[in-house]
Amino acid sequence: MTPNAASGPSRRSFLASTAVATAAVAGGVPLLSACGGSDGGSRDGTTSGKDAQKLLPAYVAASVVTPDIPSKNGSAVGFTSKLDLADLKTSVPKKLGKGGEVTIMSPFWGSPPKEDNAYYKAMNDLVGVDVVWQNQDGNTYDQKLGAVLASSEVPDVVVVPGWNMTGKIPSAIIGKFADLGPYLSGDAVKEYPNLAAIPTDAWRRSIFGGKLLGLPMPSSYVSGIVPLYRQDIFEKEGYEVPRSCDEFMALAKDATNARAKRWACLDMKWTAFNAFGVLSGNEKSLGWNQVDGKLVYRAETDEYLEALEWTRKLFAAGVVHPDAKLGKSNAADPGPKFAAGEFLVYNQDISQWWSRTAEQATQNPEFKIWGMDFFGHDGGAPTLWAQNPASIFAFVNKKASKSVIRDVLALANVTAAPYGTKEYMATNYGVEGTHYTVKDGVPTKTDQGNIDVMNAYVMVASPAATIAHPDFPEVAKGQVEWQQRTGAVTKKPTFYGMQIVEPARYTNLSNDFEQLEDDIVRGRKKIGDMQQAVSDWKSKGGDKLRDWYQKILDENGPAAG
Amino acid sequence: MSHSTVPRTRAEADATKKTPVASGDATGPRGGRRRPGKLSLRLRFRRDRVLLLMTLPAVLLVLLFNYVPILGNVVAFQEYDPYLSDNGVVSILHSPWVGLENFQRIFEDSAFWNSVRNTLVLFVLQLLLYFPIPIALALLINSVVRPRVRAISQAILYLPHFFSWVLVIAVFQQLLGGAGLLSQLLRDHGYDGLSVMTDPDTFKFLVTAQSVWKDAGWGIIVFLAALASVSPDLYEAAAMDGANRWRRMWHVTLPALRPVIALLLVLRVGDALTVGFEQILLQRDAVGPGAAEVLDTFVWWNGVRNQDFGYAAAAGLVKGVISLGLVLVANKVAHLMGEQGVYKK
Repeated sequence: MTPNAASGPSRRSFLASTAVATAAVAGGVPLLSACGGSDGGSRDGTTSGKDAQKLLPAYVAASVVTPDIPSKNGSAVGFTSKLDLADLKTSVPKKLGKGGEVTIMSPFWGSPPKEDNAYYKAMNDLVGVDVVWQNQDGNTYDQKLGAVLASSEVPDVVVVPGWNMTGKIPSAIIGKFADLGPYLSGDAVKEYPNLAAIPTDAWRRSIFGGKLLGLPMPSSYVSGIVPLYRQDIFEKEGYEVPRSCDEFMALAKDATNARAKRWACLDMKWTAFNAFGVLSGNEKSLGWNQVDGKLVYRAETDEYLEALEWTRKLFAAGVVHPDAKLGKSNAADPGPKFAAGEFLVYNQDISQWWSRTAEQATQNPEFKIWGMDFFGHDGGAPTLWAQNPASIFAFVNKKASKSVIRDVLALANVTAAPYGTKEYMATNYGVEGTHYTVKDGVPTKTDQGNIDVMNAYVMVASPAATIAHPDFPEVAKGQVEWQQRTGAVTKKPTFYGMQIVEPARYTNLSNDFEQLEDDIVRGRKKIGDMQQAVSDWKSKGGDKLRDWYQKILDENGPAAG
Repeated sequence: MSHSTVPRTRAEADATKKTPVASGDATGPRGGRRRPGKLSLRLRFRRDRVLLLMTLPAVLLVLLFNYVPILGNVVAFQEYDPYLSDNGVVSILHSPWVGLENFQRIFEDSAFWNSVRNTLVLFVLQLLLYFPIPIALALLINSVVRPRVRAISQAILYLPHFFSWVLVIAVFQQLLGGAGLLSQLLRDHGYDGLSVMTDPDTFKFLVTAQSVWKDAGWGIIVFLAALASVSPDLYEAAAMDGANRWRRMWHVTLPALRPVIALLLVLRVGDALTVGFEQILLQRDAVGPGAAEVLDTFVWWNGVRNQDFGYAAAAGLVKGVISLGLVLVANKVAHLMGEQGVYKK
């Protein structure tokens, strides 16, 4: 069965050939090949070239304030100088919202605020749309997404991160969400100037099944996950930031004192993958790379096994906080224990570098969180792999009326406002006096600001990757410089930047790897089990999937750069 | 239906007429069926029409919410994709049929058999360690004479039942977790911390202990009711014959509880493959699926998490078939013990 996206029967027309499939079963033909017709549905594959060009919105750059640190090596643009809060620009002169109600389901990392908090009210007021948030735990979002999308009660807008697009989720996205092309493709986007200023790379990633479906959150292609550490404690204890796996291990053993309730780190699997140069596990297509003319999947590489083995040693050495052993389903928000100094290093999204800083600034002035550079496992420069230039998307329910779609776009036009505008300030800082106070022209988040102004609105379309923290300019500088240093050693894998939907029959093939990784590093399974799983994976369809990706590569060519 | 319930005389038949069917008494309509000459269907319908009418709403509800959804099991024979349409029925119509492929996959899937094994081990453990505890507790409570002490101890025993699993596990975590109270206390005194919450080898005991803590108190209610119905005369008579406390319990109390124990045992066996979905799901990642995956979490993981609904439905069907077999066996055993079980031939 050749996985041919163009000529195969679509899933719907497949019903007609059910009889054939059944007959084939009775005749003893292997079942998988008999039902393989579903391979050829129009949903899988990617959209590129002219087809994509027609769908992409026009790009109209908008820069309100000139960045202090321009983008380099794929970093975000950084703003570090003082912002004149009294002279913010208005990027949305007229409320575009028509006052309708829009329900949005979105992942949330942390503890969600009350539904009717001042931030939500102010934002809704600014946009002219009554947004009702359905925040779900971001760590276990994948477990809810499938069920919600299978129900008939899909919210008006659903935010889906790329790493949650497992199983049949891509099929659900294509089947359940509205085509935004008529509203945004080409010059149509100019009605929403802030959306027109979103980089084209991010829009290209928003094309699913040949249609423009997503509102993207553009991001730097540099790893979004940073090994964050307690710089204040490092300095106090005289610890050096480790430059190799051995140094990290030595430091971890030195820093751990279980009796004093201190451990070195949480699960360092992510850092290990980077130290050993393992292909990204962020998104399925990023896990493939062409090596000597042959596509290789991340789980097949030696580096992958070495990274797991090193992480296992960390757990075995007892330097990992016991909470990390619990896995993700019932582990609590690591923030408070990090602030309490129970562990010193953990992997998290780069945004936490700033949000933890802001959160602790008033009550814990000693606290200093900083990002550690990824190290090569042997002490040399690491080889890092790029993530995609947009990984989180907001989708609009197909059943939503035109006016709801317009309201959502009005909302996105506000949340995508660039730095230096009133809209950016409202989206990222909330209401002056309530969520932040201004002293000497510097906004400082209040306790309520740290509770209310979290996730939510920033999840629906954002401006080009921007790092600007007028309250902590040194953090902004640190973040951008971290990205630039990291970007200098980051390579783009073969399918970088493409939105690829795998055929239905392969979608669950790689699902169990993550679980197995967690079992191995916690010492419940052996490296040999992973090798077995990889060979099973190959025979169960991994090799066919490789051929399928090869075909995409032949048709579209490798990623630019 | 034993023949003694069939009305033998006209008078008995008349008496039967007046016996409400709803009382659960097996006399009446079904008794008449053996002798169609006595009461025709029409007559019986006419006689019971009010009662039938009264059960109609309940029957409709059962049909609508219990029987109609059973039809959805056809997805076990499909590569079901719920996202093909907003309407589940339309999705079923459009999903490709794959015959027995899902079942074939199940029988080849070591993860499935691992979950069956875990489920059965957990069931046996719970049967041995958990099932007797409510009986013992009921006997204990029953022996408490002062009503105030009795009421308070009952309330304390019942209370954990009303906590959600999330809370119960959080409490266990705070107490017994690697960074929990007890672990820190041990470390303060120079010992190693505990790892019971993340130890796959002892996980099944942990789960059983949690169940006992949470639900054993609640389980005593039925036994207490049965104990209340034991006539005090029997105890008095036994005491007159010189039976001590222990003998009275052995010869009076326990035989009185026997039918209830047998009934609950059969019901429990029927539920054998359902061993605490929420409780285990919450702790699955802490010990890994190797030790924690049970049938229900297996179905959930494949169906809801991986959206492989057809496969999950097939696994659910297999589970149903095994459960049915277990109930039949347990019921047979109950009959052999001379008890009623859940039904009688």
